[in-house]
Amino acid sequence: MSRLLRALRGACAALALIFAASVEAKPIAFANGTTVMGEYGAGTMLEAQAFYAPTYWLSAGGGAVRFDSDITDRTRDIAYVRVNYLAKRWNLPAAQANVFVWGGLGSATGNTFDGSRLARNVGVQADYETRRIYASIKSDLWESPEFSQRVDTMQLGIAPYEHDYSTLATWFVVQARDYTGQIRHGVEWAALVRLFKGGAWVEAGLTADGKPQVMAMFNF
Amino acid sequence: MKPLNLMAVAIALCAMTVANAATIEMDVNGLVCAFCAQGIEKKLRAYPATSDVVVSLEEHLVAVSTKDGQDIADDELRRALTDAGYTVNGIRRADEPLDAVRKRLGEAKH
Repeated sequence: MSRLLRALRGACAALALIFAASVEAKPIAFANGTTVMGEYGAGTMLEAQAFYAPTYWLSAGGGAVRFDSDITDRTRDIAYVRVNYLAKRWNLPAAQANVFVWGGLGSATGNTFDGSRLARNVGVQADYETRRIYASIKSDLWESPEFSQRVDTMQLGIAPYEHDYSTLATWFVVQARDYTGQIRHGVEWAALVRLFKGGAWVEAGLTADGKPQVMAMFNF
Repeated sequence: MKPLNLMAVAIALCAMTVANAATIEMDVNGLVCAFCAQGIEKKLRAYPATSDVVVSLEEHLVAVSTKDGQDIADDELRRALTDAGYTVNGIRRADEPLDAVRKRLGEAKH
């Protein structure tokens, strides 16, 4: 029976890797564009965001994030508004690199304190992308009178072929993520498959612990 | 007007229409993903003079065709792409219809 369960789990993992898709989670997609994103990491977090960008270097919007640790049983729910700013972009003939920063305010609740608290958010992301290689590092800090926590994420992606605007893009991504604030102990590694075409982007995979991670983003 | 003359006028008008249809090609840096292309296409299609848009990540190329008898100035196009977050390296007018550009870009992939 346990062999069957292991086989089933392996099959599910393979399917997840084959059919999953990922979000190159840039907080600003394009000028006059609306971005809707959702991300789920089993045992750690669940987040939904929506932003509108009046220009290619600025977007504003809001979201809600739930940090839900299956290690410490801590939960933190934050509803927030945020402004994203493209601090620097390098346009190269066959590559692009960006530095984004953001800041926001939110209302936080949790199971380790009563009532709600004002929470402050700042973050930074740097990325480099060609049509075959993708790399990004991101740091997202939340602080309130009751907690301080940071989520640091690094992604390295390789595309098996060079996509174009009208074709499906496929990426294989390795992600390392570190949570402070007693959400998780140690670095969480994940293997993800990212697919996107037009304005739709989906990413999914599994962590080294076998926990699913899914992300989706739509731009219009 | 005699039927023959009417036909000549019709042919001349068709010829003028073809002559007035313009294709503009732009070499653009930073084109690496579908979202880049999506933003540029959205921006360029907003111009009343735009008839169609083709974006090729492979060739780092953005091509626009304009409606008959209409045009978009180079400065305007350069500003549109700069406002979209990209760098324009060159703009040229082409005799080739946009469908031919699209076909050429499609063939270039193979």
